[in-house]
Amino acid sequence: MYRKLIERPWRARPPSAPFAWRPPGRSTRPDWIRVEDWHQRIGAWQALLEQHAAMTTTWLLFEPDPLEFSAALVAIWERGDSVLLPADNQPETVGTLRRAGVALGQVPGAASAGAGRPPRWLSQPLPEIALSLYTSGSTGEPQRLDKSFAQLDAELATQASLWPFEGRVVISQVSHQHIYGLLFAILRPLCEGAPIAATTCRYPETLLAWLACCRDDARQAVLVSAPPALSRLPETLDWQSVHPALARIYSSGAPLSRAASDLALACLGTPVHEVYGSSETGGIAWRIQQRGEAWTPFPGIEVRNDDEQRLWLRSPHLAMPETWQRQADRIRFAGDGFVLLGRADRIVKIGGKRISLTAVDRALNALPRVERAQALPLQRRDLRLAAVIQLSETALPRDHAARRDAVRRLRQQLAARFETPALPRYWRFVDHWPTNAQGKLSADVRQRLFQDLDDRRAPRWLGERPVDGGWCITLEVPEQSAYVDGHFDAQPVLPGVTLVHWAMQLARRLFSLEAHFAGLERLRFPLPLLPGDRFEMTLVHTPAHRRDAARQTSRHDSPRSEDPRKESLQLHCDSRRGRHVSGRIALTEENADVE
Amino acid sequence: MTTAALENELKQTIIETLELEDVTPEDIDPDEPLFVEGLGLDSIDALELGLALQKRYGITLESDAESSRQHFANLKSLAALVESRREK
Repeated sequence: MYRKLIERPWRARPPSAPFAWRPPGRSTRPDWIRVEDWHQRIGAWQALLEQHAAMTTTWLLFEPDPLEFSAALVAIWERGDSVLLPADNQPETVGTLRRAGVALGQVPGAASAGAGRPPRWLSQPLPEIALSLYTSGSTGEPQRLDKSFAQLDAELATQASLWPFEGRVVISQVSHQHIYGLLFAILRPLCEGAPIAATTCRYPETLLAWLACCRDDARQAVLVSAPPALSRLPETLDWQSVHPALARIYSSGAPLSRAASDLALACLGTPVHEVYGSSETGGIAWRIQQRGEAWTPFPGIEVRNDDEQRLWLRSPHLAMPETWQRQADRIRFAGDGFVLLGRADRIVKIGGKRISLTAVDRALNALPRVERAQALPLQRRDLRLAAVIQLSETALPRDHAARRDAVRRLRQQLAARFETPALPRYWRFVDHWPTNAQGKLSADVRQRLFQDLDDRRAPRWLGERPVDGGWCITLEVPEQSAYVDGHFDAQPVLPGVTLVHWAMQLARRLFSLEAHFAGLERLRFPLPLLPGDRFEMTLVHTPAHRRDAARQTSRHDSPRSEDPRKESLQLHCDSRRGRHVSGRIALTEENADVE
Repeated sequence: MTTAALENELKQTIIETLELEDVTPEDIDPDEPLFVEGLGLDSIDALELGLALQKRYGITLESDAESSRQHFANLKSLAALVESRREK
């Protein structure tokens, strides 16, 4: 069943074969999209590319819809053109890349394909470079990485022989703009002829519903997931009933904690196959944690370590498959595989003193009640250390005094081993490890965690998670917030209207909200928030207009307002002390300049 | 300026100059050590603070470490230093 990319597996599939499975919507039943339907989409993209072809042979593609994405990718390859896949569609990310090529898909102002039409298979050779990806920037600026068809095919062949899909439905919870999602959720199904779910599965409740459909249809699915989703599976759902429908789970992007791996096994009834690798290296090794923490290299991959324990790699997934290349991770051999020991020592200089971040990390992680910790250098006036500390729910500081105590205690515990400049000055206490969709504490997440230091009007952001129909964001009121007035007053408080302002700012990012503030409805501020208070803000967005059911699952669609139904944002904020605000923010397309 | 007002002004200067994110003026005890075990400041902070005092009050600190350490011992001693030497 498996065919290499260079054999153009997209052309040969029988027209009536299932290409994608459209999951049930609110009022629609699941159905199948056939190869011939998808071919029509390729034709549509070919027509669009043709229109712009005088301007470029390089395309910038960001498209969350897997069908449209795969059709656009194939259309570009069929022309022999180059494609750049930005990691996200944030204005900063896309802005600099726009100069390199014409933007396609869900990028502001970009072109999308129109009505379907038959594809044209030309004799144009495939491009030299299959595609270019960008690293997440967890260790610095995003880097461009070119992948040849040989590299991709080597990896796809390994996966297909190790874990063939065998016609199972591939359900993805990750972005295909990154190497792991691209390989597992788009290219593997393409090469192995396995149907894909037509939309990305974002929520555990959705996953349960989809798996129940598969079970009722006597089908099996494979889940392409990642630590953020797997570590937040609610145990209360009736997973047991869908166990027969799930054949395999993959996770990649970051290591899964043992606890999360056990949780996923308990809930989903099948062990998680974790893949270790990076955008640069492709897949290196895999493991199932219940069999041990060691990683088994993929067939054809050679690993060794040097006297600093640094990993060296020789791999057909690399651009130079014959060359040994040194990696940033350290390893120790164990049995037939290896155990990851963390990144090679990271040294920063603070106040002229060399400080090992790795040593600070280790010390932080060894402290009682600390579940996970990471030290981060922050470029303030001088370099200063910050720390992100994950504590159990009960150990989290919830007000100014408790936070000061926690920081003081942590610093005292570290003071025995480190000089004062090595002690973190800025602390963020979280109950879930804050990551991007790939499970990484990436540059943009770090920026969000410490944004209040640079912007006195921003809240202290400590994480966010999707809830039914919206988001729940954990925040603190920064002691130095511009909105907290009068340091010398007996009891400075946060004005309630600030919460409305913060809610609007968060909603713009989380719901890609474009509408404007139009007024407040039934808004109550029963209890003021104090500086240092930790609280949870819950936001539920009601768009003015809902289109067809399939579009509802995509939360990145901007609402339209042809329908008279009012667009609004439901807001409430709670802390352990009680409810601080509840009510509704009315929204409008018109810019009334009230905000 | 009263001593209390000066102390409050210095607290604000310390918080802002050193970008202490979660410290409020009420958190700084005038008798508590500023460095290491108390507020937890370090040698880089001492340099920053010296610079701020110079700019704001025209104070030049001695070059010997021992007297600097005494001036910077706690908020009270810092206020005493500013009161006796300020030129602005």
